[in-house]
Amino acid sequence: MKKLLLLSFSLILLGNIELQAQHKQLLYDFQEIPQSILLNPGVETPYKWYSGIPIVSGFSTSIGSSGIAAGDIFANDGLDITDKIRARVINGMSANDEFSFTNQVEVVNVGFRGKNNSENFYSFGAYNEFDFITYWPKDLAILAFEGNANELGRLYDLSHLKLRGELLNVYHFGVNRKINDRLTMGVRGKLYSSIVDFNSSHNKGYFVTNIGSNNLIENTIVADMELRTSGIKSVRDAARDSEKGNVKSTLISRGLLGGNLGLGADFGFSYYIDEQTVITGSVLDLGFIYHTKDLQNYTLKGSASNEGLIINVDNLFASNNFWQDLIDDVEEDLPFENTTNNYITFRPTKLYGSYRYNFKKQNPKGNGRNCGCSYKKPNNLRIKNMYLNSVGGQVYVINRPKGPQVSLTGFYQRKLGNFLTAKASYTVNKFSYTNVGLGVSIKAGFLNMYLMADNLLAYQNLANSQYASFQFGLNIIPWNNNR
Amino acid sequence: MINKIKSSFVLFTILLGLLSSCSDELNFDQFDDLDVTPTFESSILFIEIEESIINFSQVIAGSIVQDIDFDAFSQDLFAKRVISGVVTYEIENTTSKDITISFGFLDENGVLTDTETFNVGKAPPLVSLKREVVYGPGGKSLDIIKNTVKIRLSATNTSGDYVSVNQPDSKVVLKSKGEFKVRLK
Repeated sequence: MKKLLLLSFSLILLGNIELQAQHKQLLYDFQEIPQSILLNPGVETPYKWYSGIPIVSGFSTSIGSSGIAAGDIFANDGLDITDKIRARVINGMSANDEFSFTNQVEVVNVGFRGKNNSENFYSFGAYNEFDFITYWPKDLAILAFEGNANELGRLYDLSHLKLRGELLNVYHFGVNRKINDRLTMGVRGKLYSSIVDFNSSHNKGYFVTNIGSNNLIENTIVADMELRTSGIKSVRDAARDSEKGNVKSTLISRGLLGGNLGLGADFGFSYYIDEQTVITGSVLDLGFIYHTKDLQNYTLKGSASNEGLIINVDNLFASNNFWQDLIDDVEEDLPFENTTNNYITFRPTKLYGSYRYNFKKQNPKGNGRNCGCSYKKPNNLRIKNMYLNSVGGQVYVINRPKGPQVSLTGFYQRKLGNFLTAKASYTVNKFSYTNVGLGVSIKAGFLNMYLMADNLLAYQNLANSQYASFQFGLNIIPWNNNR
Repeated sequence: MINKIKSSFVLFTILLGLLSSCSDELNFDQFDDLDVTPTFESSILFIEIEESIINFSQVIAGSIVQDIDFDAFSQDLFAKRVISGVVTYEIENTTSKDITISFGFLDENGVLTDTETFNVGKAPPLVSLKREVVYGPGGKSLDIIKNTVKIRLSATNTSGDYVSVNQPDSKVVLKSKGEFKVRLK
């Protein structure tokens, strides 16, 4: 168990927290891969239909920390681990540093062009997603690691405790429509089925030790803290008591709309400024989940000060229950309570935007009906000339508990024959200036396979990497007969 | 054909790059050596006895003695983790009496396991005493602290004077705090 915890910890240290909802800059606007429609419902769709191979059509994961790498702690360097943690974690990380893990597994993903209206492309499916993020609770960690002795007047900020995690299934249906030769737009409706949710992200308050007004010191806590959970109780009950079901069936039941539900939507577009220049944009997960079932919330709200037992002779002989009275007073002033109040969580909304310039025609004689594209397309669908090269930039913004975070990406994309397309990216954000990624889409018969990985420079020494992220998947797409 | 060769070369290079990733040696067994031993401090007890009460104590044989429940030290959360500690006492006397104050620890059987006694001379001038008592390595047994469920307080007027009053608010004040190192890991 300890090894598992250590492995988890080290894996967490291998990632970049910025990716609570994974930044998929390589997959975005990668038209050869059907999953790109999940990042922009208004992406161009140059195929007649596709079907992801269930379970393996799309797998993506990212894990990391913005402040530290596994090697910083567990390197076999002969240094004392307590000293390393004190210097590099406790004192070295800030309250804005984060740990995160995100995993997404597609269960079903199918897309097809409308029979009567080939300008429309429909897609639907379901995927399972797990997101976890916690900001580094710096002051609480210092308090736990060093204690409050000899720290008169130091405020330990309770708002540093900020975490969120959710496991959910997402069922979706989208419509993508080619409005005209320049513009493609799309929308996707989403039904969220929350399996497990926990969050504690609006905490306030502090703990402080001061010189006492009576006694030598006074410890004061002012707190307005809350941990909200849904789904955990039933899973825990199932784990403890077989008569209440088993964990697997409980998770499946909650994932199949048996848990807490929510609604959301994605919107997107692609617009050709001219023959070779296109801009795109999308907003994802504009939605919420309303938690009404299987709730277990905990609150700590109030303020209390403690100078030990305060006794004067007037009350000395009246009672010797000073200790219990002190406990009762603290519990009254600072009650720790359980509630089952309903609550709403908003999905982490993401924004993508891109500018792309295409050059070097794949088929110089292409006229829109003979585009030389790899996939089968309906005869009456107008598709622009295909180009071998693309270069451009992307912006990604995600709404986070501590405000929006922005990433900027430059990319180069190249078609290599009719069976391989590669995309290289360079991404900059507050956590990394050296994030180079590479993705490939390969066609073999009806099969489409894609593989993408980020932060490749870190592969020189994974132990010192703060970020690891990859995506892969398998799809079935009919070839273009004319290829 | 040339394109396919080029593509294969690129793909091979990518895969080779991914497969050739490496990592410094990591030693997760170091976690066993991690020491998390914070030191927490908190006040323990404050008591003040006015001179008028001391004068009144003549009727109770010149001493005030009282046992007070104090379960903080015996809680498992604390008792199983404490590894050392320092208890600090400060006493001020503004009365016209010589006072002896005792601060004792009792276990659950009512046995007095430790006592600190302070002899405080009369005022003026203001008499102030400070004492730090170490428990654990280099000091008294830590079991005294772990087993404490009551504190016995006694104050004795040793001057034989049960009449005089220095000031209306003359009193003896005892302040105390504990500073304890605990092992969380």
